[in-house]
Amino acid sequence: MSALVAAEAAVQPQPVRSEAAPSMPRPAANPGLAALRLFLRNPSGLLGSVILIGLLFAALAGPHLYGVDPFEIVGAPFQPPGGDPVLGTDYLGQDILAALLQGGRATLLVGFSAALITVVIGVTFGALAGFFGGRVDAALMKVTEFFQVLPTLLFAMVLVTLFGQRIAITTIAIGIVSWPPTARLTRAEFLRLRGLDFVKAARAAGAGPLYLIGRVILPNAAPPIVVSATLAIGTAVLFEGALSFLGLGDPNVMSWGLMIGQNRAYALEAWWTVLLPGAAIFLAVLGVSLVGDAVNDAVNPRLRKRS
Amino acid sequence: MDPVLAVEDLTVTLTRPDGPVPVLERLSFSVEAGRTIALVGESGCGKSMTALAIMGLLPEGFARADGRIRLAGEDIAAAQPSRLRALRGSALSMIFQEPMTALNPVYTVGDQIAEALRLHQRLGRRAALERALAMLRAVQIPAAERRLYAYPHELSGGMRQRVMIAMALACRPKLLIADEPTTALDVTVQAQVFDLLKALQDEMGTAIVLITHDLGAVADIADTVAVLYAGRCIEQGDTRSVMHAPQHPYTRGLMGCTPHLRLGAAADAGTGPLREIPGLVPPLGRRPAICAFADRCGRADATCLDNPQPPLAEAGLTRAVACWHPEARAA
Repeated sequence: MSALVAAEAAVQPQPVRSEAAPSMPRPAANPGLAALRLFLRNPSGLLGSVILIGLLFAALAGPHLYGVDPFEIVGAPFQPPGGDPVLGTDYLGQDILAALLQGGRATLLVGFSAALITVVIGVTFGALAGFFGGRVDAALMKVTEFFQVLPTLLFAMVLVTLFGQRIAITTIAIGIVSWPPTARLTRAEFLRLRGLDFVKAARAAGAGPLYLIGRVILPNAAPPIVVSATLAIGTAVLFEGALSFLGLGDPNVMSWGLMIGQNRAYALEAWWTVLLPGAAIFLAVLGVSLVGDAVNDAVNPRLRKRS
Repeated sequence: MDPVLAVEDLTVTLTRPDGPVPVLERLSFSVEAGRTIALVGESGCGKSMTALAIMGLLPEGFARADGRIRLAGEDIAAAQPSRLRALRGSALSMIFQEPMTALNPVYTVGDQIAEALRLHQRLGRRAALERALAMLRAVQIPAAERRLYAYPHELSGGMRQRVMIAMALACRPKLLIADEPTTALDVTVQAQVFDLLKALQDEMGTAIVLITHDLGAVADIADTVAVLYAGRCIEQGDTRSVMHAPQHPYTRGLMGCTPHLRLGAAADAGTGPLREIPGLVPPLGRRPAICAFADRCGRADATCLDNPQPPLAEAGLTRAVACWHPEARAA
């Protein structure tokens, strides 16, 4: 401390000039790059990315590389894995590998889109309620409670039955029934953060409400929201599985949930028809959770190493 | 010269279920460009409320009931919220007490200083960062180039307070409110921060409202002093004369509470016990109709107990005091 004080004391006050300083220093380390490096150094982040990239690649490129229509009957039903087709066939004699590859598209798309809807609605409600408080808070939280007291699966089933068994409807239904916990979490974070000194300081520097919500408070509330978003992806994938399992998915779009739903009656005789899509769902949820954890650690400046 | 800030009859009340409770009562003071006024008094006297009222940032439940706050002639107490937002951070800014928590932990300090410039002066990212660097140099942060990209948690308390000062002064405000800017800092760093404020004020001509407990700092950098007690100004005047010859018993008491270091021959005389003012500031809603200081005052007599609150009356050329029995002016 004393050396620092001496060094500071030695510096004479310098005039404040608005003219450009001749040489702008480069950032010692780009914060984005530093976060990426930290993310990749994290073994669970690495493992999660490998799983997710693998699944995404399989879902996007797989159907083109493995040119079998998942709805086509390719042979006798209930052929075990290891023969031809390589992962066997289901109760109709459809190729399970083809169904897994094609089904990944729908399942992952539903998972990510529904989670996006969840986060957008949840964060908007939570942020406005937590930031403004008072009547805004009371009104928004009443709406949230209304959605929260409805049994989620039943509510989603009603929505799908009312508006049609289409994949877009399924996605929206999942998003609509899952946002209340995100809203409550975001609200709690905003309530905690809005009274802190740096928010007051930002107000004193002339920041308006939207700026305070979006640029000052939200980045500080991000870690738990990121975690809840990754959980939402996993939940949405499981939700899609549950709806399809109950026969309320889109029957014209192959998905992992549909596979499990259609083969559930034969799970004991032909385990692979249910276990393989189940394992795919498990892997997807695991990958997303690992990545979410690692992202959370990487974007926290406190955990970032000094350069 | 017209004052940069003129507070006239400012009255702030807190709304309670049983009616409004006065927090600040008819407070008036002004400060000119390049000058500093210190607001002093115990905790709970309304110093910070005054600062928040000027900024237009009174907490929920508190409201300005009366009075004007003129910033360079413009009544900002009556201004639209959007106008106030435009003024905050550019024409008037504020430094907070706690440098440890007043910086946003997720942005680099360079970004935070640049943000005010981008918000108010519509500078580009690069230009704003260059100005931020100039400001970091101006507040004498060593290795400013590197600190530009540091996060708040990587800096010491003194450095953070310098960053806060850099942020507050980035847009060259006419008025700076410093709410106990050094309370959370080491004694050695405190003096540096005050020196820095003074140097920057000389250069930019900023008017400063300094809220502090530190009477040493007041003597050092303030041109005028307003002593607040229970939401009222009870003594006001130029720093030298108030500090040398306080006329209100409360001011005198405050001075008596300040420890003085005696060295050399004077040390032998002994310092004697540090004096204190008995009792507490009356809490909100329980302020008496008579002189609020009467029950703590050694000089209170029947006049003090039977009459309403004494008015702030002129006492000399540049002085004013609110007391029925002001101390005799020292020769």
